[in-house]
Amino acid sequence: MLNEHLAKDLSLEEFRRFRDLLHRHSGIYLEESKLDSLRISLVTRATRLGYTSLNDYYGALERDDHEFNELLNLVTINETSFFRFPQQFEALRERVLPEIMADKPASSRNLRIWSAGCSTGEEPYSVSMSLLDMGVEGLGWRPQVLGTDVSTKALAHAKAGVYGKRSMMNVPPDVVSRFYEATPSGAYRINDRVRSLVDFGYHNLIKEPYPLSLMGNWDVIFCRNVTIYFRLESTRRVVRNFFDSLNEGGYLFIGHSETLTSISEDFEAIDMGGVFLYRKPKSRRLFSFGAQAARPQTSPAPRPAPASTDPAERAAKRAARAAAAEARAAAAATPAPETPEDEGVGGMFEQARTRLKEGRPAEVIELVERILVEDPNNADAHLLSAYVHADSGEYDDALAACQRALAINPLLPAARYILGIIYQRQGDALRAVSEFKKTIYIDADFALAHLNLANIYKAQRKWAAAAKEYENALRAMYKSPNGAWMEFAGGFQADLLVKTCERSLIECRKAAEAG
Amino acid sequence: MAGARILAVDDSPTILEMIKAILEAGGYEVITAVDGAEALETARAEKPDLILLDVMLPKLDGYRVCRLLKFDQNYKSIPIIMLTAKTEEQAMATGIRTGANQYLTKPVDPDTLLGAVAEELAKVQG
Repeated sequence: MLNEHLAKDLSLEEFRRFRDLLHRHSGIYLEESKLDSLRISLVTRATRLGYTSLNDYYGALERDDHEFNELLNLVTINETSFFRFPQQFEALRERVLPEIMADKPASSRNLRIWSAGCSTGEEPYSVSMSLLDMGVEGLGWRPQVLGTDVSTKALAHAKAGVYGKRSMMNVPPDVVSRFYEATPSGAYRINDRVRSLVDFGYHNLIKEPYPLSLMGNWDVIFCRNVTIYFRLESTRRVVRNFFDSLNEGGYLFIGHSETLTSISEDFEAIDMGGVFLYRKPKSRRLFSFGAQAARPQTSPAPRPAPASTDPAERAAKRAARAAAAEARAAAAATPAPETPEDEGVGGMFEQARTRLKEGRPAEVIELVERILVEDPNNADAHLLSAYVHADSGEYDDALAACQRALAINPLLPAARYILGIIYQRQGDALRAVSEFKKTIYIDADFALAHLNLANIYKAQRKWAAAAKEYENALRAMYKSPNGAWMEFAGGFQADLLVKTCERSLIECRKAAEAG
Repeated sequence: MAGARILAVDDSPTILEMIKAILEAGGYEVITAVDGAEALETARAEKPDLILLDVMLPKLDGYRVCRLLKFDQNYKSIPIIMLTAKTEEQAMATGIRTGANQYLTKPVDPDTLLGAVAEELAKVQG
């Protein structure tokens, strides 16, 4: 029964006092719009314990951790349901997980997804069902889903896995029949198959440092209220912890009405058909090469240059900077080897290619110069020189080397391609387009030339032309997955290029329709 | 690549038998699966040299099966030929998205099927 003293309105002053207490101890920050719901929670608990004033109850909260948790359980009760905002789960199944799986080395079969702030468990179970529907276990993937929350009561509910009708509103009948069992009382219980992929644990997102089990190796993190519960500073720290915990290329899902603008610039914002997701950047390089090793584990992504608004251009810049950093790191990390004895032009060329792969541009140039002393008309050597100079930003040297290569053989597609890249980097789109077109004229399957051409058109908002070139790039990749162009992909895997093209293609088609 | 092992996936036993007969006549060893989930399990257990995949399959459709295989470092090198009843353009577009190596429209002409299989196997062999 409600005590009359307690039933009165909560003054703003009292609200703030409780709010600050909650915030100090849990990190959860209630906006003033939550005044009424906090009043209900306070009155409920105070009445249960027999307190006659909220002031007395405040004292109890300060003394008694158990009671603090009880209140927290009430305050954080979340309106949640299965497949809440279904578009996010569709993006998870159709785009995010395939991308993540494609990037995993052959030996790694774990897929780890963390539902942070999982409340009563609908979200991690929805993830589990999505994984089962994809059939990933059929190929030997080991999916793991973890749900964490600060509310022990919610966690107990989650572990029990029994839900009423209200949680089920987004669940299609065929999903119900595959993944739920009806209980005698008319509720729905998660079946063992769904349950077997999911673990639950207590975790307060605001308490640092995070346990080691949470730090690192997550492929996807769901936290769909983070910017709502916490104040800005706390939100920034939580998001930073998520960033550090994600694998490169891993995704953060936040609420569909939330944004990380002004919270974090570490992530790449990815639009997947109207669903905005945040990806931890991969240290990938489009037009460069170098050692894969000697890379810091969690380097924050360089911030995009403010002048550029085109994502493709930004990506290229990021890639270029990452490549430069890696080349420096590799050069510093590995001692220069003894120069082997001269083995003729062929042998030196082999060595040069090896040095190229190892990310030692200076040694490549040295070898190329020795080759050219022996064989001044070696077009491939000039080409190699052009590539290395272009990648080091020495455009004048690179241009000269390209011209020398083309003087020997005017039909070298790679020389045209490198010219195109140089002009593109110098901001001369007109000449870049011309060189990429010449590249394609010589070798129609030179996928990267199509791709770069498409990127230029896209930046110029020529959507139809861009879409056509993305299509050509895709066709070329499928036709010649190991074509000459692969040498210039800088370790960038063909399937990633394919996905990049597909994404841009969809974007351009949409823009073309809209415009 | 005579003697290569081919996984044929179709939910219709009659079509499956027909495909099996054609391929065996071409000198190939044939293993079969009747739905998407079984296709994945078989691909994992048997590591076939090539997969012939119907689009309309129970449990997991052929597109999903194809994508899972093609987005996986361990399986992406296995050539996949998709069999579809859909029109050429649709199938082509979907084939690109799913990463299938080729598609053929049903009903399949035996020579076309054997030609496509030989072509894909030759590519893998280099």
